[in-house]
Amino acid sequence: MIIFSIILALLAILGAPLFAVIAASAMLGFQSQESDLMIMAIEIQSIASMPFLAAIPLFTFAGYLLSESNAPKRLVRLTGAMLGWMPGGLAIVCLAACAFFTAFTGASGVTIIALGAILYPALKQDGYGDKFNLGLVTSAGSLGLLFAPSLPLILYGVIAEVSIDNLFLAGILPGLLMLVMLSGYSLWVNRGIRKPLSSFSLAEVGAALREAIWELPLPVVVLGGIYSGFFAVSEAAAITALYVLIVEVLVLREIPLRELPRIMRSSMVLVGGILVILSVSVASTSYMIDADVPQRLFEIVQSLVSSQTTFLIVLLIFLLILGAILDIFSAIVLVVPLILPIAAGYGVDEVHLGIVFLAAMQLGYLTPPVGLNLFIASYRFEKPIMHVYSATFPFLIILMLSVILITFFPQLSLFFLSD
Amino acid sequence: MLVALLTTMMLVAVGQIIMREAFGTGFAWADELVRLIVLWLALVGSIAACRENRHIRIDALSHVLPDNVVKAIRVFVDLFAAAVCAVVAVQAWRYLQIEIEYEDTVLVNTPAWIAHVIMPAAFGLISYRFLLGALKQLGALLFGSIAETEK
Repeated sequence: MIIFSIILALLAILGAPLFAVIAASAMLGFQSQESDLMIMAIEIQSIASMPFLAAIPLFTFAGYLLSESNAPKRLVRLTGAMLGWMPGGLAIVCLAACAFFTAFTGASGVTIIALGAILYPALKQDGYGDKFNLGLVTSAGSLGLLFAPSLPLILYGVIAEVSIDNLFLAGILPGLLMLVMLSGYSLWVNRGIRKPLSSFSLAEVGAALREAIWELPLPVVVLGGIYSGFFAVSEAAAITALYVLIVEVLVLREIPLRELPRIMRSSMVLVGGILVILSVSVASTSYMIDADVPQRLFEIVQSLVSSQTTFLIVLLIFLLILGAILDIFSAIVLVVPLILPIAAGYGVDEVHLGIVFLAAMQLGYLTPPVGLNLFIASYRFEKPIMHVYSATFPFLIILMLSVILITFFPQLSLFFLSD
Repeated sequence: MLVALLTTMMLVAVGQIIMREAFGTGFAWADELVRLIVLWLALVGSIAACRENRHIRIDALSHVLPDNVVKAIRVFVDLFAAAVCAVVAVQAWRYLQIEIEYEDTVLVNTPAWIAHVIMPAAFGLISYRFLLGALKQLGALLFGSIAETEK
């Protein structure tokens, strides 16, 4: 059994499709229990009985549509009009716009490509240093994972069987903390420049608002609808997708109808990749629970770690390493079922655990050698990868500090959940 | 197919909200249909991910190893994936036989096997795609290196 596990781990590192590795490990597990392998089909089919899962394809599609339209441009203009008067305005505009856009598109690579292309040249023109710009845009590309309705939050809710509404509330303060700390750093680095982007003008705000009039109802409908209990997450996703489709294709006509099948297809390819991993992970998780793996892991961890604080430190280190090698979706699906009972054993709130997990995985996007954002930025802005590493490094340190704060002050994530 | 699935899902889900808010009713089958579409989207999307080579992998090594080694490894791991998917397809097929035998139903009274036939079909196709991809890659590798030595 151990030999098989090592072989599978090797295959995964060599680049075998993750879902195949997980499926193989689940089947080996079932085989060793002498269960009928037909159980695989039943487990895979169980993704058809998970509530809220429909939100993932629907939000992904809406996000792809938004990033193909001119919505990113309008978003930058609007944030510029509202925040540009501050010293170092453009840097803050960049962070806020990226966070907002990532929350609505979930898959973080899209942000760098859609917004980076507008912001990177603009920053340069405004006199910011090239290295700073590269680091800023690269790290801003994963900001916003903690804001509703990001896909990782939804996926964590589905896997951990935690209320997604609560997760959305819990992400607000930790997400803002990251935003504020990065903004503070940007202001400090550029204290020499201190140039406001523009003076505050009500007319410009009005014009930007008018231009974005069709997209403005989105956050209100999605967040308002969910929090008021008017509809569930998956319903909000359906409305968002249909609304974005009608606005961008029929009203604003920014996406020609013949492009639609291509966009639908490419968003569903991403969804298929994520959900197929989810479906086989359901199988491997149910085998592990049968074999008491979480319980045994808990006993091992407990014999080594006594206090909650030490546990959180160990967890954080583990998550940072995990984030550097696995993408956020696979990590949630594979690891959350295992650490959830362990964390519960140390009295860590499951909503708080979710926020810590995602915040740490967000760092994984930026951790050398394999952080996804680093590669996307290097590819998109045609810079050598080593250059991107060093440009992103100070931002990585700031984000790491914020993750440590988020981890050890559960009050941040549980603030709105006091009842 | 993906387009049709996604469009149906949007319309059914939104339709359900309108029914509930406006008339206080809904179709019993609508929620179940949306969930089954999720299963279909997942598997059909996954077939497409194969063709476009967009399945999630740990690709750290491909950034450090020489190109030919990466390609050779790719052939090997894709053959492995093809084998795994073939096993899953066979098991899903067996499951389907049993569902037909017991006349399980979904969506009020549709036979369950119609909804679940996608499982063996999708994994079968994925397996085939991986096999084909690996063989093509292998051919290119061998053929490429022969061409080089002839020079």
